[in-house]
Amino acid sequence: MTAAPSRPSEHLPQIRRIWGRAGRGWDRRASFWMLYFPPLLWLGAFFLIPLLLMFAFSFRPDMRGDFFQLWHPSLNQYEKLISTGSYWRLLWTSTQMALLISVISVVLSYPIAYFLAFHGRQRVGFYLVLLLVPFWTSYLLRVMAWKMMLGTEGVINSFLIYINLIQEPLTALLYNRNAVVITLIYVWIPFATLPILAALQRIDLALFEAAADLGARPVHQFLRITLPLSLPGVFAAFFMVFIPTVGEYVTPLLVGGSRGSMYGNIIQDFFTKAANWPFGSAMSMIMLAGTLILVAIAARLINLRDLLE
Amino acid sequence: MNPKKPLLHPLPGILLTLALFLSACGGGVATATDAPAPEATSASTEEPAATSAPTEAPAAEVTGALSVLEWAGYDAEDFWVDFKNAYPEVTVNFEIGISDADIYAKMAAGNQADVFHPYSGWLQFYVDEGLVEEIDTSKLSNWDKVSESHKKLGQINGKQYFIPWDIGFTSVLYRTDKIPEGVDSWAALMDPKYAGHISMWDDGPGAVTVSAYIHGYDETAITDEQLAAIQEEWITQRDSNLFYWAGEPELQEGMRSGDVWAAYAWQGSYALLLGEGVPVAYANPKEGRNSWVGFYGIRKGTENLDLALKFLDAKLGEATGSNVVNLFYYGHSNQDVMNSVTDPMLIEAFGLNDPDILEKTNFTPNLTAEQRDAWTAMWAEVKAAP
Repeated sequence: MTAAPSRPSEHLPQIRRIWGRAGRGWDRRASFWMLYFPPLLWLGAFFLIPLLLMFAFSFRPDMRGDFFQLWHPSLNQYEKLISTGSYWRLLWTSTQMALLISVISVVLSYPIAYFLAFHGRQRVGFYLVLLLVPFWTSYLLRVMAWKMMLGTEGVINSFLIYINLIQEPLTALLYNRNAVVITLIYVWIPFATLPILAALQRIDLALFEAAADLGARPVHQFLRITLPLSLPGVFAAFFMVFIPTVGEYVTPLLVGGSRGSMYGNIIQDFFTKAANWPFGSAMSMIMLAGTLILVAIAARLINLRDLLE
Repeated sequence: MNPKKPLLHPLPGILLTLALFLSACGGGVATATDAPAPEATSASTEEPAATSAPTEAPAAEVTGALSVLEWAGYDAEDFWVDFKNAYPEVTVNFEIGISDADIYAKMAAGNQADVFHPYSGWLQFYVDEGLVEEIDTSKLSNWDKVSESHKKLGQINGKQYFIPWDIGFTSVLYRTDKIPEGVDSWAALMDPKYAGHISMWDDGPGAVTVSAYIHGYDETAITDEQLAAIQEEWITQRDSNLFYWAGEPELQEGMRSGDVWAAYAWQGSYALLLGEGVPVAYANPKEGRNSWVGFYGIRKGTENLDLALKFLDAKLGEATGSNVVNLFYYGHSNQDVMNSVTDPMLIEAFGLNDPDILEKTNFTPNLTAEQRDAWTAMWAEVKAAP
């Protein structure tokens, strides 16, 4: 793709020249550390260290004894986890749900992003604000609103009864896996729109003129130019939705009912309802490993590098 | 980062970091439900001297700070009003635990709260793990107002490690309009007749208790076979269960709207709904109601021992106790408070008019660490079952 818009890396030599003139080596290093130290410290203290602690905890035989104690690794928790089929099935179910949710969210948010990028014109900022307005209210409140929509005395049921389509309220709308899927798709659409929008906005409009000059119809233009060039954004959106959804636990708790639990709920239960941090940690580690493997496979299949160059 | 080296392609790295970050924080966007109360433990070490001075300062002049690991709701001033009035200069900081397991895990992980609030069943491990201080009851002026049977429940290995405080029943709460035939057994929670309209508490030990009552198992000696049968029973029950409730408001909303007809419930929900005019009744199951007691314990090694004891003493005070009864509809361990209850609705809720109510009641026994792990794992498997 020779006509691709200029990529930031092309400016790097120039930036380096400026840097080289502006300061000596230590200067560069100093600014590097000044810029990167705070976020690194933050990630280290509040993410990496807890993650390592959790890793260490997952090898403890039980909760007994001091919080910090000499480490005698034991595979107890992993053995128990491996021998319990229902947890594996639940992890698989959660993964499938996450796949479904991310695919639908991405498909639904693509037209929104397309509209914002090509038809938003000067009002694109205003539309973006509209898209993000729901996030000014708390997540809990929005999920509660869904409960009011889907409940037996909720908006949907009341309407269907009012127009005499049904006599008894539908109970299938709330407190099951479908409710979790519906709610999460709603939650993710605005998020998924943003990376796709960013990718679409990067497309050089001259490409469309060139394509039109060469006789390409709008459908062809979309399939040959817009879609391929927006794929990085599409995949970014997909992963942004998929990864946190595998471990989701709040939405299933609120609208999932007895049969709507996801893998994340069981992890949460082991931490907050069972006082069994070692087992919860082992479950988290398995999920982390599973997610990483899936992402690695996906990155392989999609071959991101080709896509970007 | 070496500026001479060309930048590697950032996307795989970004994805990897994203994967690590997002998968580890689970529902990253969804932290609103269980945001903990602000950390309030560090303040407890300040000014410990004020209370331990040899010549005791007048109560109104005692300063310092006390930190309490408490359940949401009980942090309201109504529930420690006697202490507030006696020691206006002492700052009380509350940290909120969301369950017994949560409070235990926090204490085990080295939480610095001076006082914490566990419930029936969850006392033994605090003693076994050396997390709780024995209480010198001679320092509690309200201690003689507590009945002997309640005092005993706070003793582990013959020593008074905990003081009893709030008291309640668990039973089946049901909508009288939806279940006109009434409920006379815990087995109603399993009854397919009410499919889609049952709500169980989201708790493993609670589920074991219910099954033990129904089948007459000895709750203190559940065998592996019995536990397996209990697991099967609750997996089957799940098809009739609408949702497992975690917090009482959730249950109350379900009962109010008519979605839930029968539920595992504490009497506070019964009294509240009754007061609102919702047609509900609280069963007297033939297997007996369950009864639970909430306790306060003092963290072993606290520098605020004197202040903590004063706090516990004030917790047994009459104004505080009356608020527990009148605002939350739970019983209080101070007998004077209970004897002064006149509201017929409360008398009904506490069963004060039923001389046999205590004989028909089963107290929750203390869990061992093994039971805790096995029963909570059983419950997780029920929820994870396909």
